[in-house]
Amino acid sequence: MAYEPPVTDYDEIVENCTCAFCGSNCDDVDILVKDNHVVGVRHACRLGASKIMEDEDQRLTVPMIRDENGELMEVDWDTALDRAAELIAGAVRPVFYGWSETSIEAMKPGLELTELVGAVIDNQATICHGPTVQAVQNVGYPLMTLGEVKNRADMVVYTGSNPMNAHPRHLARYTTFPKGFFRKRGRFDRTLVTWDPKYSDTAKLSDIWIPFEENGDYGFCNAIRAVLKGKELKQDFISGIPKEDIVALTEKMKNTQFGALFFGLGLTHTLSKQRNIDIAIQLVQDLNKYTKWVLLPMRGHFNVNGFNIFMAYEMGFPYGVDFCRGYPRYMIGETTTIDLLNRKECDVFMVIAADPGAHFPGGALAHLVDIPVIQIDIHWGPSTELADVVLPGTFIGVETAGTSYRMDSVPIYMKKAIDPPETCREDEWIVNELLQRVKKIKEASK
Amino acid sequence: MTYIEKPSISNVVKFEDPDVAQVKKLTVMLNTGTDIYQGACKKRGSTLKDEYRKVAGVCYMDPKDMARLGVGNWESVLVKSDWGEVVVYAAHSRDAPHEGMIFIPKGPWANVVVSPETYCCSDPTYKGIKATVEKTDKEVLLMADLMRDVYKKYVKEGDKPEELPSLGEMPVYKKIRSG
Repeated sequence: MAYEPPVTDYDEIVENCTCAFCGSNCDDVDILVKDNHVVGVRHACRLGASKIMEDEDQRLTVPMIRDENGELMEVDWDTALDRAAELIAGAVRPVFYGWSETSIEAMKPGLELTELVGAVIDNQATICHGPTVQAVQNVGYPLMTLGEVKNRADMVVYTGSNPMNAHPRHLARYTTFPKGFFRKRGRFDRTLVTWDPKYSDTAKLSDIWIPFEENGDYGFCNAIRAVLKGKELKQDFISGIPKEDIVALTEKMKNTQFGALFFGLGLTHTLSKQRNIDIAIQLVQDLNKYTKWVLLPMRGHFNVNGFNIFMAYEMGFPYGVDFCRGYPRYMIGETTTIDLLNRKECDVFMVIAADPGAHFPGGALAHLVDIPVIQIDIHWGPSTELADVVLPGTFIGVETAGTSYRMDSVPIYMKKAIDPPETCREDEWIVNELLQRVKKIKEASK
Repeated sequence: MTYIEKPSISNVVKFEDPDVAQVKKLTVMLNTGTDIYQGACKKRGSTLKDEYRKVAGVCYMDPKDMARLGVGNWESVLVKSDWGEVVVYAAHSRDAPHEGMIFIPKGPWANVVVSPETYCCSDPTYKGIKATVEKTDKEVLLMADLMRDVYKKYVKEGDKPEELPSLGEMPVYKKIRSG
């Protein structure tokens, strides 16, 4: 990478902004502003900086709909909103997917709209930490805040996740490197352990790397639990790891003062899915007979946890909530987005602040070809290639203020640094406008 | 401004390695997931650009596996699974050795070959998929062309997407006020 001189040409620094990228929600980011444009970012990681210094070529600036030739055509806000409202009001089984990269404030009218039309509301948890949420419902949630880990943890374990690639400041800001109240020497007072089949960038920094086999997580966690309970391991190798190593690791884990286990999508995306998390949580429960252990899922988007908390608080269910019968229902594998698409059930798909085009398997995306898709987003992405109505939103945390929840469920108010482009509208305004227009159509047809 | 050109990958594929036998097709386990280059490019919004193809349309392989197939860095390979096939670049993995395993960062290219099956758990199976890799002469497509080729949502009947002109690296739409 070429050397870039520091940015010195700016009007003002907006201090302590919150980064709107991953679940770490770093709230110490300084944004350098000139003429209502971001010219530089301080303290953010590579991911956060690249998101805040957005690609203006691909910014969605005007509402668009497809013409009869299938080409996107710029229209005014009224036309685009009316078209979207018509589609939603006329749908039998609409799905409103996304919400993880917008604020809690925008979810409120979204939920009202969902109830009004009897839709399914779902977020990105459905394709990432959905099994985690199920496992938490199965066996509990030995949770902490990241501040506790910073001040107390002397052993940090990452499994099925690669924070150096996905949450680059997680180790530096919360878990491994910072000096804490009881960990005065920072990194030197802590043992960093990675359980991952891959020699990932996090494994490269770790003190201990346990390369169990692909799909070996379930067996490996169970082997540790067996050792904890005083049982003898009968096989010489479990999930590719020699039994002496498992016994030695278990001893180490028992003899820590405060341990923290962080797990990511490596556990939820393999075949055992929520059973992997069940066993990880039960492992932490067993370890608590000896010493203090806690665990936390590494949530991906800055507000993916916020949606789950918001929905659980408002409706009693965390994601994939179906209102088609007039009351909220939640049934994993029935009312979740991928299953609805696989079964070709939904007839209008609204995606807000998400990119299914980039992240859904092709088999599920195939159904989006047959049905109208409404997109509310800030950038032209793979989903725009499948969208029939495009409504440009604003950038939460840079152009619009809003509330989000960090991965450890701490709410953070994200302030704004610059004004949004004139032709864009806030997500909250767009969803509210859709709600009012759908209400009007419903009342007229009574 | 561009933060990423290419992930720095040293060219250590030894084609004359006496330990490896040349094969036409390799059976591997496919993993997908995030990667810092893919994440930075995607969230910046540069998904139409050539840069996105270089960071997400790429298959990170063990150098020994690459020697077996006879492919070098940034040459095209065809990845096939039960759910589809896609042309991506081959590149030497930073996390090697992991023979028999390939990694494609999440994105439109990986989507074509991953399994949509959720086994009633809401979550599709993005990791641990059986796939084959072989050398190919085909070009890796840009994002917009790939979406058109694979899903054909707005392709008119009778048109063959592979024969249409490329959609390019900039957003294409009709503006109200021309100029």
